[in-house]
Amino acid sequence: MRILLVEDEKNLAMEIKAFMETEGDICDIAGNLRDASENLAVNPYDFVLLDLGLPDGDGLDLLEEIQDYQEQASIIILTARSEVDDRVKGLQLGADDYLAKPFSLVELKARMQAILRRKSGWNRDLIHIGEFEMDLNSKTISFQKEEINLTKKEFTLLHFMIMNKNRVLNRFQLAEHLWGDHLEDDYQSNYIDVHIKNLRKKLGQFASTDWLETVRGLGYKIKA
Amino acid sequence: MRLSTKFLLFNFLAKGIILLVFLAAGPFVLRYFAIKSTDRQLIEKRNEVLGIIEAEGIENFISEENPELGFGSYNILKEEYILLEQVPQAFESDLIFVEERILDNESVTYRVYSYAFEIDGENFLLEIGRSLQTIDEIEAIIFRILIGTVLLFFALSFFLDNAFNKSILRPFSQIIEKKLSHIKEPQQFSYKAIETNTEEFVLLDESLSEMMRRIQKAFNQERVFISHASHELKTPISVLQTKVENLFSQDGFSDEQMDKLMDMQQTIQKMKKTVNALLLISKVNNAQFIKNEEVPIHKVLEELIADWEAMALEKNIQLQFTGAENFVLKESNSSLCLMMIRNALVNAIKYTPESGKIILTGTWEGPHYRVSIQDNGPGISENLLKQVEDGTVFLKDVEKDKSGFGLQILYKVALYLGVKVEIKSGTSGTTVSFIF
Repeated sequence: MRILLVEDEKNLAMEIKAFMETEGDICDIAGNLRDASENLAVNPYDFVLLDLGLPDGDGLDLLEEIQDYQEQASIIILTARSEVDDRVKGLQLGADDYLAKPFSLVELKARMQAILRRKSGWNRDLIHIGEFEMDLNSKTISFQKEEINLTKKEFTLLHFMIMNKNRVLNRFQLAEHLWGDHLEDDYQSNYIDVHIKNLRKKLGQFASTDWLETVRGLGYKIKA
Repeated sequence: MRLSTKFLLFNFLAKGIILLVFLAAGPFVLRYFAIKSTDRQLIEKRNEVLGIIEAEGIENFISEENPELGFGSYNILKEEYILLEQVPQAFESDLIFVEERILDNESVTYRVYSYAFEIDGENFLLEIGRSLQTIDEIEAIIFRILIGTVLLFFALSFFLDNAFNKSILRPFSQIIEKKLSHIKEPQQFSYKAIETNTEEFVLLDESLSEMMRRIQKAFNQERVFISHASHELKTPISVLQTKVENLFSQDGFSDEQMDKLMDMQQTIQKMKKTVNALLLISKVNNAQFIKNEEVPIHKVLEELIADWEAMALEKNIQLQFTGAENFVLKESNSSLCLMMIRNALVNAIKYTPESGKIILTGTWEGPHYRVSIQDNGPGISENLLKQVEDGTVFLKDVEKDKSGFGLQILYKVALYLGVKVEIKSGTSGTTVSFIF
């Protein structure tokens, strides 16, 4: 995928670029609106990751231009600004998603994948993991057509881990995906352990869950 | 009680008391003036009779042959009479008094003027009487007219006062209704002037608008500040978080280095949550959340139970959910509402000991819906609760009590959403109630 990252904070831009490149994507950085416009005029992009507070204007002003010249591009707004209006305005102006800073890179990647899946016409509704089949439409998981009863949070957690398969996800990243930023609780990493334990217990009744690994001291990984 | 009702009640009572006093004193006043008038008429009559005697001579009234017969005259209805008689000895008499007279076996009360005088060395006594029965009748008629007039006046003045109060207080009511009672955030305030020519109301309206302009300006400044502060605080945290995350995905770190990275990640998470909590509180205080959603509270409770049941089970806590009657909260914010109740439930799960019990209920209490989360944990110290309620809680104290910002957020959000919070805490546990 080719990504245009519009971000004036160089350090942050470099880290996001580095992450995207390890994922196999090409990432161009624009530090202001003018550079972003130039990039948009020259290169076709699959994704535009757009910061709102730019030195030469508001990132929201670029939304129309992106839609005019890069119809195929999906847009995720990344901002540290706190105003609720920005979120509403951004989504109304055509952004596909909105991610408040500070965000986890794996969360960003998961959002991008979700947008791609949605835009590609739901053609990957079924995901296979081990001997299990996950239906993203009905939000169910089954083993040989037999449905396994997972809670909403367990399903969300498993799906997030599958989207980031072969990557170690620490408890903070997982907790952030489940509860967002505002679950103000030091114990939340323990809650992740409880969910993982329950997932193993529920799925383990049907088949092996060896693909769900615990990485000692760090977190969890789905090996596929 | 409404101001207009108070005015009306005051007018009603004040006029009522005055009229009662007037009606109570009426008969006496009437009697006094009637007697005064009668006395004046009696004196006039005396003067008239004396004038006639002087003009026509006493002999026309007192026979020289039988002076002891005197002269007496009653009019047909016996309302008035004149008696003139010769008395043997001179004496002083110029008196007006009341006396009963029996006339034709009928007792009649007269106001009598007794006057002694002398003509040509002879002494005479003149008595002029006027029946008080007539006065009584006139008095009764006047009194009835008076009562009628007073009652009519009372009724008319009641309706007039009511209409006048309503009319004069209409701008005031409009100020209360349009500019005060329905205004929960400065953004909702209408600066349109209330139509009135009453100087005080114009002044009140202008003062309120001016005050609200200042508050709104301060609100806007605070909003801009929060936005900038948010940017300035979150951007460096974002840089740190992404750097650490990228390091995580690299190979070749020793276990010790990985542990250090995890510590850094944990610190970043703590910073992130602190900043987010502080910004959330500021944004709630600054009324930045839109309240235009319908929130089915019973469904929120069901969702919370489904999400957190596993955590409770892990601690062998019995999570009981009873009486969740249907209730939809209007003009609210679903994510804030969920956060508010979730904070209370998560706290309960966190502090309830192993094999403890949490009871969650949602029931109607008269016109209000009450959500209660009752646990048998160690309770919250009174001092901390007071600090949280007053909004004077300090990070250090909170950290010591391991309460974080959860309670503070709960209180602030509840205040913003117009939900009453009751926290009862003791050694046997804590009950947090939300009253909608």
